Amino acid sequence: MRYLIKNGSIIDPARRVATVGNVLVEDGKVVQVIDLADLTLTPEPLDEHTEVINARGAVIAPGFLDLHAHVREPGEEHKETIETATKAAAAGGFTTLCVMPDTRPSIDCAAVARQVREIARRRGVVRIEPIGAITLGRAGQTLTEMAELVEAGCVGFSDEGNAVADAAVMRNALAYAAMLDVPIMAHCEETRLTRGWGMHDGAVSIRLGLPGYPAAAEEAMVARDIALAEMTGAHLHICHVSTAGSVALIRAAKARGVRVTAEVTPHHLTLTDQWVLGNLALVRAEGKAIQRSGRDRAEDDDGLDLPSRLKPTLLPPYHTSTRVRPPLRTEHDVEALIEGLRDGTIDAIASDHEPQSAVDKECEYRLAAPGISSLETALGLALTLVHRGKLDLVDLVAKFTEGPATVLGRAPATLRPGSPADIVIFDPDSPWTVDPAKFFSKGRNTPLAGQRLKGQVMLTMCRGQIVFRRGNFGVATGALQQASRLEGILGSEHEE
Amino acid sequence: MSVSAGAGTARSRRRHVLDLDDFSPQEIDEILETAASMKEVLGRAIKQVPTLRGKTIVNMFFEESTRTRISFELAGKALSANVVNFTARGSSVEKGESLVDTVRTLQALGADILVMRHSESGAPYLAAQYFHGSVINAGDGRHAHPTQALLDLFTVRQRLGRIEGLKVVIVGDILHSRVARSNLWGFTRMGASVTLCAPHTLIGPESFWKATWPHLTITSNLDECITGADVIMTLRLQRERMEAGLLPSLREYTRFFGITAERVARAAPHCLVMHPGPMNEGVEIMPDVAVSAQSVIEEQVANGVAVRMALLYRLSGE
Amino acid sequence: MGEKQILDADDIRRAITRIAHEIAERNAGVRDVALVGIRRRGAPLAMRIAAALEEIERVRVPVGILDITLYRDDLGIRGPAPVVHATDIPFDINGRTVVLVDDVLYTGRTIRAALDALTDFGRPARIQLAVLIDRGHRELPIRADFVGKNVPTSRDERIATRLHEVDGGADGVFIVRASETATE
Repeated sequence: MRYLIKNGSIIDPARRVATVGNVLVEDGKVVQVIDLADLTLTPEPLDEHTEVINARGAVIAPGFLDLHAHVREPGEEHKETIETATKAAAAGGFTTLCVMPDTRPSIDCAAVARQVREIARRRGVVRIEPIGAITLGRAGQTLTEMAELVEAGCVGFSDEGNAVADAAVMRNALAYAAMLDVPIMAHCEETRLTRGWGMHDGAVSIRLGLPGYPAAAEEAMVARDIALAEMTGAHLHICHVSTAGSVALIRAAKARGVRVTAEVTPHHLTLTDQWVLGNLALVRAEGKAIQRSGRDRAEDDDGLDLPSRLKPTLLPPYHTSTRVRPPLRTEHDVEALIEGLRDGTIDAIASDHEPQSAVDKECEYRLAAPGISSLETALGLALTLVHRGKLDLVDLVAKFTEGPATVLGRAPATLRPGSPADIVIFDPDSPWTVDPAKFFSKGRNTPLAGQRLKGQVMLTMCRGQIVFRRGNFGVATGALQQASRLEGILGSEHEE
Repeated sequence: MSVSAGAGTARSRRRHVLDLDDFSPQEIDEILETAASMKEVLGRAIKQVPTLRGKTIVNMFFEESTRTRISFELAGKALSANVVNFTARGSSVEKGESLVDTVRTLQALGADILVMRHSESGAPYLAAQYFHGSVINAGDGRHAHPTQALLDLFTVRQRLGRIEGLKVVIVGDILHSRVARSNLWGFTRMGASVTLCAPHTLIGPESFWKATWPHLTITSNLDECITGADVIMTLRLQRERMEAGLLPSLREYTRFFGITAERVARAAPHCLVMHPGPMNEGVEIMPDVAVSAQSVIEEQVANGVAVRMALLYRLSGE
Repeated sequence: MGEKQILDADDIRRAITRIAHEIAERNAGVRDVALVGIRRRGAPLAMRIAAALEEIERVRVPVGILDITLYRDDLGIRGPAPVVHATDIPFDINGRTVVLVDDVLYTGRTIRAALDALTDFGRPARIQLAVLIDRGHRELPIRADFVGKNVPTSRDERIATRLHEVDGGADGVFIVRASETATE
């Protein structure tokens, strides 16, 4: 099967290309990229085996690479499976998921890593690459058999969810991983400062009486791990950076040549601790108990007037969907994270997709399992930065593609002929309402239910196969098939 | 999803009492006035009126509190409601049934008003989302204790005739105190000026408090801030704070933050000494101060029933 | 507006004097009589009757004020719960003749509530009822012992009593057409 993706805005950060043109895919590979500017002499290879995908008005980019997803399989299949997570990933534009080892059992030996890859091969719709645990059982004591885990396909190591409390263990992990040339992906949290935590330690936690998770609890550990990386020469990757102080530490470390990289989640880039405070009016409300549903405001008006910022108007106070680890921080931190993304201090946007079941969230705030089911909202949420003029669209795409590839020490995904056809097509301006009931993920835990976002994935292709398609996106009529060459030349002004 | 007219509109009905942050001064005024009438009822030979006949109030206490529970029970019974007590030690999770399930069960059993004490901040907000009647927060974690604050406001107003313009000093373990937070809303909204006095380990950064209550004064110098105070409210010091290393010793705490007769003498002559109870006499308050003429600690307890009657009554309109 | 005056200040004064005479006559003096005014406008009326009785009998009869809000049977029908005002009955009602005083007698439900409330304060020898206006439409078997004026009304009319102690301005009683707000 061949696909001719026509007339999209091609953004290929690896090649520094942003242009309008066509992409031809055959046998799982990109075979031709045609810039409309020099289309004239190139005959279009049209026949009955070629499906034309009309991508006019949409962006064509390399498939996204997520450094940080929790897929819950094996062990917690009631929360998510590799099948549902990869479907959610496809709907979110991701063609590769690096999956965290906090499964049951954890990915702390080659057999589990191989099992994950085997399940992914059989039931996953996008690529899965396991991340191995740093220590056995993620308990922070004994190093895993890292060399064998790399052999089994692990692309990095993390005790994600747990910090490696013992500095000596962390030093050894870094040194050993350096030998294997894979990153240690650190969850930075000084747990003695976060005991009993409820939310970010600040004005809102004081008002709500929730024990705080101070910024310093993250920063102390970031500082320690940077020092250890500097000492060992290893590659340290900081997971889910959330504070202005961490950004400054990482920036300084990079400046003096420490091998440190970092990621940030879409929610830490856009939401603040005010979301935990929520909207008091919702519990003052007269009448029946609150029914939360994305359908409450699902009108699809095109004259969408997006607020300059997302606001937690749809959540009552203490809504557990806002509970995430590290916690949502302040406006000041959000601004610093965006700046870190712009200046390259932060290399990648990673989903930190953490699906939870309803019972894990339908409880008292502090008792709720932290995490946001984020694969399907990641792009829409990150695009708010573009719409607010904080980030260039090409830079944003790079943070989902080139940036994470660099963290894993590999050549960035690209649309260059010969590359695997991992492709996302998204419409950066298409308005939609977040409705968790429509998620492919089993995790419906999101603070964004009912929020209006602008920009969504229309089609995702992995290894040349369409793994997600929104409605009939891009289906071309017979006439379009026939006329396609001429249109291309004329710039397709009269198409619709 | 309906959104209320909110606080401030005179005749909009309040559905829940979760904290004082959504009470207007006018609404507080009305409640205090009604509480005074309720106090008269409690002074009669027959301390009961038929107002809430046929209504069912469930006192849902996930954390033991004899005085608050009894106070609510007496208040409900004085209004002729059916009062059912439900006490579960520890959290709902330990018990195996979730809070939401418990609330749904009580809903099905026909409860009209849930009075709820819980060790987790915010738990009443969760209950309020699932319960079709009214929820009254009888204390949630460190967050809020609105009925305590209202009875404190009532006691001060009865004794001093006003709240506006008073200097109120709240002393002690502010960080962990729901009483302090709700009183902050109540007293500042009614126009008093509030000073918080605590060792730094028991309050946290000043800016965190001022973000919500910009006109607060925060200090750790009790001798200085107590000068000219109209109201001194001291808070219970939990023994766990010592174990968590937040204080070097009880001795040092008492020396610098204990309410002694000498310190009370620096305050205004009419100054009231308050404590939400239960007291650690000899730690945060000296025994002679607790029983002095300026102490209104017992009055606070007595007034609690009248104030809770006023709230139960107010929530029962349709 | 559709408002018609039925009593002016002089009419009210004469009605009160007459009610005071009738109370004294019916009870052969006022030795064991106490007046209890029902909030809000029954309270000043009770004061005025007490003053008239003092003129007539040279005896100061005790006056109490009763707020019947907590005894109403329509909580939850009338909208948000109103403020409960103070009840003040600073004397023992046991064995006394208590004359309840209100401005308008209509359905009888207010008086029913007042009777319940009084009973909680003790056991009077007898309870009598004095009203300035009886407008009919009783829903309970209750009648007044002393009436200032009987006013036939329709249900879509309201009676508005204005007393200077409560409302300021001149005293007066008015019939107001429906959709006008008024006190009962």
